[in-house]
Amino acid sequence: MSVGFKAVQWNREKYIYDAILLAGVTLYVVAFIAISHRIEPPKDLPEAIDVRIRAFGTCAFFMLTIILSIGPLARLNPWFRKLLFNRRHFGVLTFIIALLHAWFMIEWYEAQGSLPSLLTELTKWSDYGKFIGFPFKVIGFAALLILFLLAATSHDFWLSFLSPPVWKWLHMALYVAYGLVVLHVALGIMQYDSNPLIPIMLAASFALVAVLHVVAGWRERGMDRGTPTGGDGWIAAGAPGAIPDKGAVIVVAPGGERIAVFRDGTEIGALTNLCSHQNGPLGEGRIIDGCITCPWHGWQYRLSDGCAPPPFTEKLATYPVRIRNGVVEVDPRPLPPGTPATIHLPAP
Amino acid sequence: MRRAHRNAHRMLWPALAVLVGLALAMSLVMRAPPPAAPPPPAAEGQR
Repeated sequence: MSVGFKAVQWNREKYIYDAILLAGVTLYVVAFIAISHRIEPPKDLPEAIDVRIRAFGTCAFFMLTIILSIGPLARLNPWFRKLLFNRRHFGVLTFIIALLHAWFMIEWYEAQGSLPSLLTELTKWSDYGKFIGFPFKVIGFAALLILFLLAATSHDFWLSFLSPPVWKWLHMALYVAYGLVVLHVALGIMQYDSNPLIPIMLAASFALVAVLHVVAGWRERGMDRGTPTGGDGWIAAGAPGAIPDKGAVIVVAPGGERIAVFRDGTEIGALTNLCSHQNGPLGEGRIIDGCITCPWHGWQYRLSDGCAPPPFTEKLATYPVRIRNGVVEVDPRPLPPGTPATIHLPAP
Repeated sequence: MRRAHRNAHRMLWPALAVLVGLALAMSLVMRAPPPAAPPPPAAEGQR
């Protein structure tokens, strides 16, 4: 959190996550190369390198597909949230795999002593006017540059330096990178290799990611229209018993931003739904060890005043709450971050 | 996520799906046909 920046804040879960990632990638690449060699043994060094290019290229593509599926899946089904917390390591590893794919491509040219022809290929300006025949390696290079930018700024230092909203805008460039990768494959290997599996896997992967994002986005569309307010502008959050103990209900302020109304036993409080770390959905989290815990990366805040427990210093905006006619109501005008604003229900 | 991010998601993904889907379909339709199989060897009696 805010106490200094460390290179990587390791814990047991991250070790397990990373071990599974590395094992999966190693297994995929080794199996791809072994099966390719068994089906069609390479006749020379360039053919052997070509198999590596394909192994690392397909691996990076499938990793990107999985990474981009995690976000909408977590919004559609909370079970997938467990894949969110270390997605940054997944992303950085994907960049490394994509970089190896590019490195083997250069090695392929070098093995044939034709490195200058790569430059000729990239600077044949007449090809830039074509659709089929467009220099697809340039598209792949553009995607690799975006992946580099995202991997380089993935650390919490950059998140804090840029601020969570700006960082999030920047990291939405991953969607563009994915589109470029699909085009890189469609205008590249798909034009030279008639294997029907290539277009099938390409189209199925992209369709899966696109459908998941569209469905997850449209399902939340109604909520963003806002929660109806009473005559004095307060928003009804429901009866106290309707708020799950150590959980929250989410209401929407007239501007469209969300407010999480938590209940911890007889204490009820409202605070912004945006975690100060990555703007994660606090209201989908739980109260653990007396603190509201973000479901994305486990950042914690006190219900009473929205402050992170010492030694951390983050503060969230809180909202006034009241009970009227047996219904919890929230004033959507935020209080300064860290302002105590909870109420206590009368003991039963 | 903020509302602006959610709105951007809702605008961006359908647009990206249409653009990339169209490009993918065009690249499939326009790709060169696979090389034709060699003709079967002529029968002896036809020489």
